[in-house]
Amino acid sequence: MAEDQATAAMETLAVEKQPETTVAEAPTVTITKRMMVAIDESDSSFYALQWVIDHFSNLLMTTEAAQAEGGLLTVVHVQSPSHHFAAFPAGPGGATAVYASSSMIESVKKAEQEASAALLSRALHMCRAKQIRTETMVLEGDAKDMICQAVEQMHVDLLVVGSRGLGKIRRAFIGSVSDYCAHHANCPILIVKPPKEIN
Amino acid sequence: MASGSERVVVIGVDDSSHSYHALETALDLFFTPFKSNPQFKLVVIHARLTATSVIGFAGPGTVDIIPLVEQDLDKTAELVKKKCTEVCSAKSVEITSLEAIEGDPRNIMVEAAERHHASVLVLGSHGYGAVKRVFLGSVSDYLAHHAHCSVMIVKKPKAKHASNDKH
Repeated sequence: MAEDQATAAMETLAVEKQPETTVAEAPTVTITKRMMVAIDESDSSFYALQWVIDHFSNLLMTTEAAQAEGGLLTVVHVQSPSHHFAAFPAGPGGATAVYASSSMIESVKKAEQEASAALLSRALHMCRAKQIRTETMVLEGDAKDMICQAVEQMHVDLLVVGSRGLGKIRRAFIGSVSDYCAHHANCPILIVKPPKEIN
Repeated sequence: MASGSERVVVIGVDDSSHSYHALETALDLFFTPFKSNPQFKLVVIHARLTATSVIGFAGPGTVDIIPLVEQDLDKTAELVKKKCTEVCSAKSVEITSLEAIEGDPRNIMVEAAERHHASVLVLGSHGYGAVKRVFLGSVSDYLAHHAHCSVMIVKKPKAKHASNDKH
């Protein structure tokens, strides 16, 4: 299993599903546990990731015992669809239609990709520090739909989300994506609340 | 992990299949993988409704049926406690505390989570709602917003066939 440890960590997109072992032992124990954590730029999503790493490390680490449990952590980031700037009238005498040049679109896309990559590498760094079996995923589209879709398609066993989205709102609220996923995702959902704030 | 023994999982159960499913899911995630090295303590809370909350309307003769409803609720509470104990011992998980508390489930759960310094609160979700799509039950929804600790909501997997039953 040594080579599995090296290759299983940090694979983008491609996943090696833990082969189902013959059910000789306790039939009710699920062999493969896939946990998915959704991250964005918010601190609360990274706190959620850290929470998972701290609490489920025994399940997810790249150790023999943990691998027997078949845990895998999928970190997913959803990019909002790139805004294709249509005409925004800038000059005087509105007839001047300024449309985004393709180079502008390209640079916006590039900036977004770099932002995603930075987020994911920060997440990976956190996971690697505790030797967690991780894979990362970038999806594009509406965050709540993409996450719920991913949960279905990848047979996620537990979805973990932060509790507050962008914006410093009181702890009583949960972000709209977390809220949506709590209602619509097909798997158990864990909403991680940040600790009491030190204001 | 230094503070491994201090982490508490509080799970709320009522007498429904959703709750027992949530209990089993929680056991599988938090307890069975760590058998040799338990990381969490399990606290099971049964929120026992009050007779008055169960009897919706107040009509003549209500006073007479209250004791019967109370008896029934007590029986249910005993049944729930017994079943939880069975489920947990089947998975060789020790229950640190098993409580049946009377009152409004929402407040009971929030208060129990505080009292036990829970790391995570686990609930099943009925999804009461007369629509096909699954909505969160009101208790799980309330707790998702108001609990101070992390909340895990376990829904029963939807049946594969598109059944149009409304409940």
